[in-house]
Amino acid sequence: MTVGRIRSRTRRVLPLPVGWLTVVWVALWGTLTIANVLTGLVVAVLLQVLLPLPPAPGRLVFRPFGLVRFVVRFALDLVVSSLRVAWQALWPGRLPRSSVVGVALATRSDVLLTLTVLALNVIPGSIVVEIRRGRPTMLFIHALGADTPASVEAARRAVVRLEARVVAAFGTREERAVSTGTSGGGR
Amino acid sequence: MRAGEFADAASAVCLLTGCALAFVAGVGLLRFPDTLSRMHTVAKPQVLGLLLVTLGLGLRLRSGIDIGMLVMVAFFQLTTVPVATHLVGHAVYRLPQLPTGDLAIDELGDGADPKR
Repeated sequence: MTVGRIRSRTRRVLPLPVGWLTVVWVALWGTLTIANVLTGLVVAVLLQVLLPLPPAPGRLVFRPFGLVRFVVRFALDLVVSSLRVAWQALWPGRLPRSSVVGVALATRSDVLLTLTVLALNVIPGSIVVEIRRGRPTMLFIHALGADTPASVEAARRAVVRLEARVVAAFGTREERAVSTGTSGGGR
Repeated sequence: MRAGEFADAASAVCLLTGCALAFVAGVGLLRFPDTLSRMHTVAKPQVLGLLLVTLGLGLRLRSGIDIGMLVMVAFFQLTTVPVATHLVGHAVYRLPQLPTGDLAIDELGDGADPKR
């Protein structure tokens, strides 16, 4: 948990959120003018000063290669899982039964856990039902239409692979070392 | 001119596909047997449908003021829907009657009490 700099002073104005809030402001106004950027900066700084968020746990690293791979797979998974759910919705017979599957995660970083859970709700056939913190952190997912031990195993492997992609895209060096060490050996 | 026509055609395809997916999501909502299964239709075909509709609108409108707004719609949809899905799933699983339908394998229920 102590990996990365945990900021003690919450009222600091950080450049990344200010930049992002300004981008949102300009996008909502729709035109890129100097006046829009300046008012966006003022609003962003004011928001940070008046409504400070608690310090973010841990640190994000953006790794270009892993990021591209993650985004492309995410888009593909979104299409595949949408078509699969659409097919299951239109299929005239009864739905196969579903299962709740537990998966042990390799990462201990809160940020990576959050990103994994966000992306998990999009990959084929799973929504996250329960997160149990600990060593290891356990995720429990609802796998739609997984009614045999083999399909449950497939759902579990899909989660492990997704986590590996998230760590490869956003993890620090230590986290990537942990990830390749455990999930690579377990497969 | 040619580029404009192509964009219009692509826009029509995106809009129609997006609407079809949103419709199927509605069908799934009615047909799936339990709340957790229904959350799948909210999390997937509905999100892709909305993304396709925003893409179709962007291809048709083609102006900065609209595209900025549409990108924000898509971004916040992608970041908020998984959270909403997770919270509903989480809440449903903890209900005393467990309206989770007929689970084939339930590894969470087999173990400790879900209320920890």
